[in-house]
Amino acid sequence: MSPSGLRVVCLAAPLFCLVSPARAQLIPIKTIPIAQGDQFQIFPSNNLGLGGVSIALPDSLGDPFSNPATTARLRASRFFSSPTVYSVSDKAGGGRSLPFAMLTRRANWYGGLALVLQQVDPSRPPQRGFVGVAVDAPLPPGGSPIPGPDLRAHGNQYAFGMIGRSWPGSNLSVGASALWTGLHALDGVDLLYTGSRRVDQSGHAIDFRMGALREWPGERGARSLEAIIVHNRFAATHTVLYADQFWDPGQQRFVAQARTDHNHDQTNTWGAQLDYRMPLAARGWQIGWALTVNRATHPKLPNYDITNVAVIPWDPGRSYAYNLGVGLSKVLGPATFGVDAIYEPIRSYTWADAVAPTATMGGDTIPVGGKTIENWFRFSNAVLRIGAGREIDLEGSPKAIGLQFGLMVRSINYRLQQANNVELARRSLRTGWIEWTPTWGITLRFPELELRYRGRVTKGAGRPGTQSVGVVQGFAVSSGDILAAPSGPLSLIDVNTVTHQISLSLPLH
Amino acid sequence: MTVSVKPLCVAALLLVAACDETPPTASFPESLDAQLRRSIGRWSVVPIAEPPWQDPALVALGRALMFDKILSGNRDISCATCHEPALHATDGLPLAIGTGGTGTGTARTLGPGRSFVPRNAPSLLNSAIGLSYVFWDGRLNRFGQQPPEVSVPLDRSNVIAAQAMMPVLNRREMRGDPGDVDVFGNPNELAQLPDSQPTQIWAAVMQRLLAIPAYDSLFSAAYRDLPQFMLTFGQAANAIAAFQMDALMKTNSPFDHYLRHDDNALSVEEKRGGILFFTRARCVSCHNGPFLGGQSFSNSGAPQLGPGVGQGAPLDLGRGELQNNAGYRFAFRVPPLRNVELTAPYFHNGTFPTLESVVAHYSDVAKSLREFNPATLPAAVQSSYHGDQATIDDILKTLDFQLRTPLQLTETEQHELVAFLKSLTDPRARDLSGLVPASVPSGLPVR
Repeated sequence: MSPSGLRVVCLAAPLFCLVSPARAQLIPIKTIPIAQGDQFQIFPSNNLGLGGVSIALPDSLGDPFSNPATTARLRASRFFSSPTVYSVSDKAGGGRSLPFAMLTRRANWYGGLALVLQQVDPSRPPQRGFVGVAVDAPLPPGGSPIPGPDLRAHGNQYAFGMIGRSWPGSNLSVGASALWTGLHALDGVDLLYTGSRRVDQSGHAIDFRMGALREWPGERGARSLEAIIVHNRFAATHTVLYADQFWDPGQQRFVAQARTDHNHDQTNTWGAQLDYRMPLAARGWQIGWALTVNRATHPKLPNYDITNVAVIPWDPGRSYAYNLGVGLSKVLGPATFGVDAIYEPIRSYTWADAVAPTATMGGDTIPVGGKTIENWFRFSNAVLRIGAGREIDLEGSPKAIGLQFGLMVRSINYRLQQANNVELARRSLRTGWIEWTPTWGITLRFPELELRYRGRVTKGAGRPGTQSVGVVQGFAVSSGDILAAPSGPLSLIDVNTVTHQISLSLPLH
Repeated sequence: MTVSVKPLCVAALLLVAACDETPPTASFPESLDAQLRRSIGRWSVVPIAEPPWQDPALVALGRALMFDKILSGNRDISCATCHEPALHATDGLPLAIGTGGTGTGTARTLGPGRSFVPRNAPSLLNSAIGLSYVFWDGRLNRFGQQPPEVSVPLDRSNVIAAQAMMPVLNRREMRGDPGDVDVFGNPNELAQLPDSQPTQIWAAVMQRLLAIPAYDSLFSAAYRDLPQFMLTFGQAANAIAAFQMDALMKTNSPFDHYLRHDDNALSVEEKRGGILFFTRARCVSCHNGPFLGGQSFSNSGAPQLGPGVGQGAPLDLGRGELQNNAGYRFAFRVPPLRNVELTAPYFHNGTFPTLESVVAHYSDVAKSLREFNPATLPAAVQSSYHGDQATIDDILKTLDFQLRTPLQLTETEQHELVAFLKSLTDPRARDLSGLVPASVPSGLPVR
């Protein structure tokens, strides 16, 4: 494998994954470049092919799921579906979603319902070159068989409901939405426990939103102000099964014994966003600003175990994440252009609790519940989105074709200061990486329906995997029947995540 | 438009600052646990499962035999004399004192006209764990390749049971010399038998045992399906091995807890010592696998002490005495390390009395060997130290290549290594006095 294909990282695990299909108001925090798939791209988005620009360019399909108040812009009831498929390169994973959504309005009231069924394939290390076959140690006498890896795809369910009201006289709309997610498969989690046999996940997420939209019509277009308050609660348990090797003095050989770890992952987030959009003097141009604030508490973060990654111990923590964005768009006739620039400063503080009285190097004792390790993260992330589209009317026909191209670049940089209160040591790290996401889209517009195809590929992240080596290295030096274990270098291997979404929008008469 | 573009310019500047991609820093120091666990994972060091259940009747028989001096020709020494529970199943002496000796433990002295057993009595703690080699020269092993002079019928996979059959054959250890009389003044019939007839010797020992009604009962209970005439010393040895498995397996040390994923089981000092053990100090190159040793042989530059063995006498060539291979000269079995804190003195001839002195020796083996001070040894063995230049040069010639470059461990590092070695102690191994029976079937004194 080429050196560029191998990404060796030396730090931590993802801080936490935000479980919400409508992520605009929830700022993701990520500490290693692990590809997470596109599992939560389940609702339709018109701007997906435009790099996902959203600050100065409304997303007629996606906005109602981010801010329920924007459903007021809906002129008529519509039915949506947006089958979405994603895959991670090198057979490292994938998934598919089938949502059904209906948005409807009656007089000044509007509402919506959506149901999504999703299937996520088990995540695997990228399959490149020769892949070794693991040989199990025998079981101790009377020992129960240890289940093998779970190769089945697992399903998640999403249920979304929304209601809102508008006051035409004051151009004000207010809406509220709730999204419940039953989770049995978070993409990539299987790979974050090195040496595990299988990882069973179960959990749920609840996302409550209240949004308001105020518009001021003008000659060159409407000014608008959006305000959203979000509360997201995520809780999952990873039941991780290991097959530990023991020496059995009775049989006088190595045996495998099952060990099960229960890792909890819990994060509660409060967020608020203000979005202001106004037309510029030049015809068709709009500018927008967005300010987002998130406060997340992490009552329990999972202790991932990633080979070759110095996992930083942590238990609870809290984060403050901010998102300052400015966007510019131009919609002139059939042409659309948009650009967003977002800066995301984030502060996170996590720590590890002492589970037993712990003696420090200085001779003190940290009591139960005291902090053994403290981590201070200072992120300085940035997102740049740019996209352009063009609608082409088919001559002599009410039909039209639309094309979209875009690019999203996410830059993640952070500095970590770690204090180990047991070893009385301090460490610091500065690291970062960039993820690139080219996007594209085609729209077929018919009088009775709209059919959209959107696609994107994300590059720059990786997945833990075994590097293929010609010679098995690192045998344990021993004699007798002590098994030798290969220990080839394990690192993150660059992968691409490709997503295809077809969305169908039908007016309901 | 001019005014409105300003925010974009500010945003662009922020982006430029934020997009300054820094490659992942490779020098971020790992935590002690990450370093230690990664090191452990490379060397097949795994926890030990619970020992298998042993038939209580077999264990009772084994316990009686372990402490009964009737197994010795002169009825004056039992297995437990050199494997004293109070001293963690060893005797605390550099070189063992066999039959004819008086006293126990470190107070034991040679009998008139007797000489030391040429090697240290290793602790029986965890001896039943499944070692590949037993005895310091590994002359008994799991692979069925016994040297011709060890003509023991090894028809069992349990090497430790086979080991239990050996001391009764050894004149210096338990059998005695021709013409010896036992503690009652009666002729020592075992000593009259020729060395080349181990089967006869074992049969004679069994004759002694089965003449005692209490042993007859113990054997009957342990071997219900076996008529008395079919009992051999192999059954007695199996009972001793069962007792060892039942009573002397101590594998629940803090390090074992750590192996079972309890990060708090070791202190910072012990973890640092562990990292040294598995990396820079290179201890693990020999002390690896589930027992942290016991699987190979090494010339670790121990000074020569004692009467010597075989053709190499007055030196002890160790494995080199058995194998016609110059590479094995002065090489001895690498001992397993669990409970090592309790099993002083160290090396095949007990030349180093403390773990601190052992670690200091490994820090610079050649220097340690050349500067060895025999005054650190008990007075009784000082005269048998072979510190001449030729012997030292001979030892260093085949010194384990891992030990040829001095480690130059600092005092702190040596301290940390010792702390790690002490973390290998199962607290249950600290006091084994409860294993000593009040009496044995022969009626001979237990101590």
